[in-house]
Amino acid sequence: MFVYTLKRLAVAVPTFFAVLLITFTLTVVSPFDPVEMMMTQFEGTLDTLAKEEVIEKIRDQYGLNDTYWVQFTRWIGRLLQGDLGISINGQRNVLRMIVKTFPISFQLGLAGAVVTTILGIPLGCIAALKQNTWIDYTIVGGTLGFRTVPVFVLAPLLLVLFVLVLDIMRVPRGWDGLFQTKVILPVFILALGPLPVVVRQTRAAVLEVFSMDYVRTAKMKGLEMWRIIIRHILRNALIPVVTTLGFVAEGLIVGSIFLDSIFAIPGFGGVAEAGFRGFDYPVIMGVTMVSAVMIILTNLIVDLVYPFLDPRIKIE
Amino acid sequence: MSESSETVSNESLREELAGESALKTRSLWKDAVGRLLRNRLSVIGLVITILLLIGALFGPYIAPYTYTEQDLLNVAKMPSPDHWLGTDEIGRDLFSRVLWGARTATLVAIFTTFISVIIGVIIGAIAGYGGALADNITGRIIDIVMSVPGLLLAALIAVSIKEPVVTWAENIHDASGFPLFADTTWLDLLVVFGGLAFVSWPGYARLIRGQIFSLREEQYIEAAKSVGVSELKIALRHLLPNAIGPVIVTLTFSFSSAMVLESSLSYLGIGVQPPQASWGNMIASNIGSWSYRPWLVAVPALTLAIVTLGINFLGDGLNDALNPRSKRSI
Repeated sequence: MFVYTLKRLAVAVPTFFAVLLITFTLTVVSPFDPVEMMMTQFEGTLDTLAKEEVIEKIRDQYGLNDTYWVQFTRWIGRLLQGDLGISINGQRNVLRMIVKTFPISFQLGLAGAVVTTILGIPLGCIAALKQNTWIDYTIVGGTLGFRTVPVFVLAPLLLVLFVLVLDIMRVPRGWDGLFQTKVILPVFILALGPLPVVVRQTRAAVLEVFSMDYVRTAKMKGLEMWRIIIRHILRNALIPVVTTLGFVAEGLIVGSIFLDSIFAIPGFGGVAEAGFRGFDYPVIMGVTMVSAVMIILTNLIVDLVYPFLDPRIKIE
Repeated sequence: MSESSETVSNESLREELAGESALKTRSLWKDAVGRLLRNRLSVIGLVITILLLIGALFGPYIAPYTYTEQDLLNVAKMPSPDHWLGTDEIGRDLFSRVLWGARTATLVAIFTTFISVIIGVIIGAIAGYGGALADNITGRIIDIVMSVPGLLLAALIAVSIKEPVVTWAENIHDASGFPLFADTTWLDLLVVFGGLAFVSWPGYARLIRGQIFSLREEQYIEAAKSVGVSELKIALRHLLPNAIGPVIVTLTFSFSSAMVLESSLSYLGIGVQPPQASWGNMIASNIGSWSYRPWLVAVPALTLAIVTLGINFLGDGLNDALNPRSKRSI
């Protein structure tokens, strides 16, 4: 197990390092120049010649004239100390912005993942048990179709439907903790994104388990259907479903980017959206890295948990 | 006597075989079309896709107004005979803008898909044919690209390369006076293509690699190899035709996801810039007023939803039609 963990880490850490390299390289070609930005404060107080000199001095002072690799290692060093830089709009500490908003999005995301699971696994099971009937086609077709409909399309349409047309809810806005009725719609919308993956995976797994000898044996000895499903099929079918967690995490992160501003939720996604809208480079880099960490971590956890769920997986 | 009868029977056998194989090749595609048309959802998807393509191709000729034309006497009006889908917050005809948006979305989807297929096929072929080391290296690169959410990475790339691309175009314009480079609207599109293609190719690379590996085990490939057919010829004559089904299916799905990604980037203000019409930026500029001008959000949102649903249904139907052996699993 120890060797296996090390091996998985040996995959995850370089992956993250490569993500850092890509992000850093993109900032090098990017329009964002911190010195230019600082200089806008002194606009008009310096003549052009002095400005050039000052810029050169500041560049030297902050090491911006150093080679790519020197700058990269220094940047990594700062990252390791938890320094993600200062945002351009509002001069705020990026790490603090993320730390402050992340718990809210994490709760929403967790709730979304739970809803996805609660909806997805039964739907996948039903689709598999009613294979090639209209029920199967409706479930698979419905979820497949919705696979790519983005949050910023679903959210306003559902808001118009529920608030204006059906008039069954007030406009859900803001955040007062997870256990509020106004959280229902955002969580539901978040959950719809990764739902198709869970449904399809469950369906495929159940179909595969269904043809196994032990299920036939269970049927033959006259076990009731629900008992077979719960005891024999689900237990084995759910193992591959765990592997979809990485996709679920990605769906939730991307979903929250659009969701937060629509529902006025002060979350991580809102920070990301504001960052993109304002071309706020440090913020964009911060959220990209945190998202990458979340996905790499989720996949690592899945890899580590998997051998426990399925002993047939050889750890070595 | 026996010799002549043998020749005859051989010939007739050959003819029979030839006829059968000709029949088979025809019936394979006919079969696929038949299966596709039997599926009601995929027919709906096909119709929607065709409508989208018509809208994208002929939109500017169908559209009653241009995408910037303002009717200042009718600002933010509900649908009416003059403006079929109403007008937006500054009096532009919504129906016309939706049609122009179709053009944007289709253009981005076609180019992105095209670029990412080329990159994906090259990398996938390297992984499939280049040996274990090449396979490992490309596999790691794919993992890295896939560990960042596609939208975030595409957005980051678009934000980063936008300024350099614009400066580059300006320099070319200054140096050569090419009128093409004076206009920067298509540069927005170029930047979007770049960002989207960069995050979309891994899917194709994985698919091609998987196809190469699984088809290589097939007996007909082995047979071709054993009689000395060259690798290139095997790839072109045997691998390619057999891999084309899954590739077409993936193409359809990634067409719709490229569309969605373009809308997402435009929604975030990174992609297609106003006043150019994109369904994404149309939704974004009106999302704040959804409660009192719902149609301004609902029209582009519904269009995007219907189009992506339609294309996905078509992809699903194509999957059943082209890969009849797959049990509708994944």
